[in-house]
Amino acid sequence: MSKNHKGKKSSVHKATASNGRGTPTSPEADSSLRTYAIADYRLEKPVFRLQQVHVGNEVKYTVTGDLTAPVPPLRDSKYLDKKQLIEIYRWMLLNRRMEAALENLYKQGKVVGGVYFGLGQEACSCASAYALRPDEWLGPMIRNQGSLLVRGFSARDIMMQYMAKAGSPTKGRDASSHFGDIENRNVVAPISTLGDLIPVLAGVALGARLQGKNIAVMTYIGDGGQSTGVTYEGLNFAAVQKLGLVLFVENNLWGYSTPADMQFCVKDLAERAIAYGMPGVIVDGTDACQVYDAAHEACERARHGEGPTLIEAKMMRMKGHAIHDAAEYVPKSLFEYWRKRDPILRLEKHLLDKQYLTPQQNQELIAGVEKQLEEDRDFAVASPMPQPESAVGGVYCDVACHEIKPKYGTPKSSVTKSGVVTQRKEAAVHLK
Amino acid sequence: MPQLTYLEAIRQGIWEEMERDPSVFCLGEDIGIYGGAFKVTDGFIDRFGPERVIDTPIAESAIVGAAFGASLTGMRPVAEFQFMDFIGCAFNQIVNMVAKAHYRWGAPAPLVIRGPSGGNVHGGPFHSQNPEMWFVHAPGLKVVCPASAYDAKGLIKSAIRDNNPVIFFEHKYLYRRIKEDVPADDYIVPLGKARTARHGRDLSIITYAAMVHTALEAAEILARDGIDAEIIDLRTVSPLDRAAIMETVKKTNKVIILHEHARTGGLAGEIAAIINEEAFDDLDGPIVRITSLDSPVPFSPPQEEYFLPKVSDVVREARRLQAY
Repeated sequence: MSKNHKGKKSSVHKATASNGRGTPTSPEADSSLRTYAIADYRLEKPVFRLQQVHVGNEVKYTVTGDLTAPVPPLRDSKYLDKKQLIEIYRWMLLNRRMEAALENLYKQGKVVGGVYFGLGQEACSCASAYALRPDEWLGPMIRNQGSLLVRGFSARDIMMQYMAKAGSPTKGRDASSHFGDIENRNVVAPISTLGDLIPVLAGVALGARLQGKNIAVMTYIGDGGQSTGVTYEGLNFAAVQKLGLVLFVENNLWGYSTPADMQFCVKDLAERAIAYGMPGVIVDGTDACQVYDAAHEACERARHGEGPTLIEAKMMRMKGHAIHDAAEYVPKSLFEYWRKRDPILRLEKHLLDKQYLTPQQNQELIAGVEKQLEEDRDFAVASPMPQPESAVGGVYCDVACHEIKPKYGTPKSSVTKSGVVTQRKEAAVHLK
Repeated sequence: MPQLTYLEAIRQGIWEEMERDPSVFCLGEDIGIYGGAFKVTDGFIDRFGPERVIDTPIAESAIVGAAFGASLTGMRPVAEFQFMDFIGCAFNQIVNMVAKAHYRWGAPAPLVIRGPSGGNVHGGPFHSQNPEMWFVHAPGLKVVCPASAYDAKGLIKSAIRDNNPVIFFEHKYLYRRIKEDVPADDYIVPLGKARTARHGRDLSIITYAAMVHTALEAAEILARDGIDAEIIDLRTVSPLDRAAIMETVKKTNKVIILHEHARTGGLAGEIAAIINEEAFDDLDGPIVRITSLDSPVPFSPPQEEYFLPKVSDVVREARRLQAY
């Protein structure tokens, strides 16, 4: 057992008993062979391998693995009731259909730049964000538009971002999911480079803790993005400081056109958690119940000051990197396999099978989502572009534009009585 | 009035801000029990506790990212970089995440990134750099380079109270070399305001940080020749105090820009362009640049001395300019 693990309080182990952890399972501390546990909530554990092979004069990706396995049912949630499951289903529908509307707007030439899709990943975005409380924080990545909807932004906001409208959350200054809100929705705007939100969300949890409150903070990274150095720095920082970070590693098998097999060598990305000294969990990213349950348990750990959790959600990106990318490098059979595991169809079937929804109620719900989207789309399309001069201003925060004050109350201060600076002895002055 | 070194003045400034505002906290490498590589935060952990004086892993991107995250909740983090040379490790966080936040999505980032910079201490290519221009080039950041102990205290206090990200370059050559009267009470020196370090009639030397002292020494020698040099200490290099620059140009009509930063892409080029655009008719001679060489900072003392601008360079160039 490593020194780090020895130093941790026993409450950590108790609270994480159902959650998997990077701690040795061997009872013998002096054993020369250590094994570690990763909780895997999946009901099926497919193993695929993607390799570059010569086919005639071309190099292509081929996939090996059992692509014919039947689709299992969803795992019953330990925490979600009927009403909550239907809410998550509704967010996922809104997420999917909003992106379909964006695709149409793009084809009509109304979108500035590209469109990024979370197709096939709606359960991971929506069910994870659903586990956060209103006063907790989220940092979305490019495909987590569903998370933004759950946090309280409207489809209208996202559409106006894509159309670079004056009324978009960034007033035309940035695109796609690149927006946030520090006042009400507690969302940190992402930047295009990958992994940079991880230390930032850790810092949000640090700020809240200094103000006397342990909160859960959630962000995402892909199988491609997790290769960056800042991912390591951020996760290690969160682990050392025991900050309530919930990191979803969205393993959607492709980083732009590069398959996961060329991105990392571990079997499962959740294994990384062991080396960071935090619990690692694997879920089926197309199963909203598994995603929510793992997120909920990780958030509870965070709220109890027990530190970060890494959750690997396995799924597939069902479109190209962005709208310009036809994803022709992806083997067709892999698309077919994952199309049968469509997160929305799976949840819909779950809700109908359990009779949480009647087919009639389901149709009404879908119609309600469509109606809302139509209104949002019409509003966004009709809204004006920004005035050219609005490019100016706001580079700095003037005294008048924001009042900085602690969000969770007066920071705790443990000032000691001594007002004297104690000078410690130095062997020599560094670089005199 | 107590005499404090430049380093003690910075320490006192941060200390006072932590006393007056519980949302101020420090994070960085070895800043706690050890008190920092240069002892700026010596004794802080005893006074303010390990919650507010956080020793971090050696992870500069995480330090800046975490400081930014904490600032989003209304805290005012002061992040120490052991050497400003290492700021390259956090470059993306600073210029892409932090600097653009207010412009893009209206998020103020009231944080300070501070640490030792500058040469003349034989620190070599990785412990002597002046990387301020990397950040002057990034809209959204404020960049501060104090030259005196009085200013260092007043400016660090302003930086901590500012609602914007401030990169605070402390010149390590000055840390223990200059000692001056520094008020023990609360005062601030505003960001973005230059000061006249020496009033003169004949020519202006616009400079900042350690080079202010080089200019002052040169001015004494020039005075013996009857050349009366005015010295403008910029104090803040971004945003620039354009009014102060214009005022001195209109007064003396002759300008030398002096800095320790390398010549190409240095602040002198920008200031020369501003003067060209706004006060060309006021010039009686060419704008003169005195800078370090366009090379990494060399380690060996004779090489470093050759690399840095010297008093004799300023005297020579001032005499040349005075002839116009």
